[in-house]
Amino acid sequence: MQGIKVIFRKELADHFSSYRFIIIFALIAMVSLITAYMVGLNIRQQLEGVAKPRFIFLMLFTAPGAMFSLVQFVAFFGPLVGLILGFDTINRERNEGTLSKLLAQPIYRDVVINGKFLAGVAMISIMLVSIVLVITGLGLLVMGIVPGLEEIWRILIYLVISIIYISFWLGVAILFSIIFRSTATSALAALAVWIFFSFFVSIGASILGNALAGDTPQSDTAAVVRQARIVKAVQLTSPMKLYTDATATIIDPMRKSTRSIVSMGPMENLSMARFSGPLPLSQSILIVIPYLISLVAITIICFAVSYMVFMRQEIRSM
Amino acid sequence: MKLVKSGHMGLLVLLLVIAWGLTPGLCLATTQNDNRPARSITMAAEYPGVEIPPDENVSMDLIFHNRGKSDENVDVWVSKKPEGWKTRIKTYRYTVTGVHVASGDDKTLTFEAEPGKDTPPGTYKFRVEAKTPDGKFKMAQNITVTIGTKEKAEKKDRGVKLTTSYPEIRGPSDATFEFSVEVVSKLDKDDVFNLFAQGPKGWEINFKPAYESKYISSLRLKADQSQTIAVEVKPAMMAPAGQYPINIRVSSGGAKGEAKLAVILTGTYGLEVGTANGLLSLDARRGKPANISFYVKNSGSAVNHDIKFMSFKPENWKVEFKPEKIDAIEPGGLKQIEMTITPYEDALVGDYSVTIKIDGEKASKTLEFRTTVKASAAWGWIGIGIIVAVIIGLFGVFRWLGRR
Repeated sequence: MQGIKVIFRKELADHFSSYRFIIIFALIAMVSLITAYMVGLNIRQQLEGVAKPRFIFLMLFTAPGAMFSLVQFVAFFGPLVGLILGFDTINRERNEGTLSKLLAQPIYRDVVINGKFLAGVAMISIMLVSIVLVITGLGLLVMGIVPGLEEIWRILIYLVISIIYISFWLGVAILFSIIFRSTATSALAALAVWIFFSFFVSIGASILGNALAGDTPQSDTAAVVRQARIVKAVQLTSPMKLYTDATATIIDPMRKSTRSIVSMGPMENLSMARFSGPLPLSQSILIVIPYLISLVAITIICFAVSYMVFMRQEIRSM
Repeated sequence: MKLVKSGHMGLLVLLLVIAWGLTPGLCLATTQNDNRPARSITMAAEYPGVEIPPDENVSMDLIFHNRGKSDENVDVWVSKKPEGWKTRIKTYRYTVTGVHVASGDDKTLTFEAEPGKDTPPGTYKFRVEAKTPDGKFKMAQNITVTIGTKEKAEKKDRGVKLTTSYPEIRGPSDATFEFSVEVVSKLDKDDVFNLFAQGPKGWEINFKPAYESKYISSLRLKADQSQTIAVEVKPAMMAPAGQYPINIRVSSGGAKGEAKLAVILTGTYGLEVGTANGLLSLDARRGKPANISFYVKNSGSAVNHDIKFMSFKPENWKVEFKPEKIDAIEPGGLKQIEMTITPYEDALVGDYSVTIKIDGEKASKTLEFRTTVKASAAWGWIGIGIIVAVIIGLFGVFRWLGRR
């Protein structure tokens, strides 16, 4: 594994020195800071009059500030970071002719792609960790609250899920950079996929839901729930939906379901309201475990596909 | 026919009266209308014949009627009395020998006769006479007093008597019972009476004056007087249902009286519920039954029949009891109930309140269970399996395509 270290280090150095990374990073950091600051100010107003709020610290990440909460921001624009980091990984080297030179060295071919992918993941991790740390620090400063142990655990899990999620988009971008020779094509293709999954799936899902479930009156609870289920099922084809659902219960202990519409009888409502407490972390995880698994699985599968495509590609003919 | 005739007569009389009244001298109509005699006075005794037990006094009214037009003074005296008797005529205040009776008025004097000691039974005659000072009216009234025999007298209660209108009261064991008892003294002197009560063990029995809250143990009564007292009875704790006799006794010197009272306890109704370890929470999985047992204890003193269970639960949940109901629990008895809670398949993860109402005879209790619905861990294992499979697949790909 001597070679992977070299590739990894070289790739990291490239990332750090590239201008577009610095631009993206600056953008993300700026937006996070602004979001967190707005949230910090908002929370103060929201918490006035609340007897003993719990998990205030997590509200830093979930409460919408001016426009977005941090969680929503990462769900929407995090993929862009992955795409930008990965869309020209292979084809740039190929176009510049460095790939065959690289492979002329005593370096195995799988090491190249593994190293590049790992370097991308490392970049994403560094970025997310620093953003979360900045927000945490800001939270301490603005609100003067120290997060509890469970809150720290929840933030950590959220961080891991986010890294996996952006890594998935990195994998998609690397796959396109392997398939397409032109960097512009691969960038556009990756963007198209991102736009499709981020925007069109959710719109398409509601259209499909309406079409399949028919015109449902609001009073018919069962029909409304059925329609919501269809919409949800369609939406789940989007990794973004997987990610937002997976993080929903992790970052918000009061959430008890990933469903957007929950049919609840009056007795059930009463019964639940009697002990309206937050869920323990283990339960929060168990609720979203299918989402977590799917997210991890598609990320690994996406990388495996790009790996297979890359390994079987003809390189010397370039 | 007769009726008509009398009607005619009445009309005639009326006409005559009107005609007469219209004649001159109308102002004297009242005096002329008064057809009373100029003087008329009579005397009467209230009870010309009286029968009394030995050693008792006779007391009665003498009534004077003045029907005349003028006021009268009347002298009055007892003209005849048996030997050994003391008699007198009096008003409420004085012994009198004369009385003034206004015209058209009635006057009442009191005639009293007191037999001497050892006056034998028999019939005694008295004569009261009266006359106006001018002697125009003389009145006399005979009074016969019969003294009963000793045997007859002894049968009568000489002493003290207890009477009550409600000798039996029923109610629950935790109630306080109050009997109203009249103490009647037939003694011829004032005396202090001691009050005793005897009831079941552990019971508290107290005497109280009527409408007062202090407890008394003795009572002073004047001769021939009676007083109502209250007997307050507090049953012993945990006294089972049934009938309990209570004897109360009043005594003073030789005289004593007794009365039997009874309290019928219907028992108290009370239930106690809980779980063996006091834990009122349980974990459940969606669609999977969860068991918990609780006990029902009869904390009352009556047998509690037909205890049913009701559950207040979220919709689509199932709550079952085994047994479904309890036919009867003896006082102090304990029954264990197995409860199965099955959350709805689609229930949210979190804490739900499931409330059980234990509905017995005249007593009910509620028990609230905090039911924590947990997510199934099965998915977790499946997920780990999937991830492991995917990673194995990845390494398979590495091995298959690697090292080129």
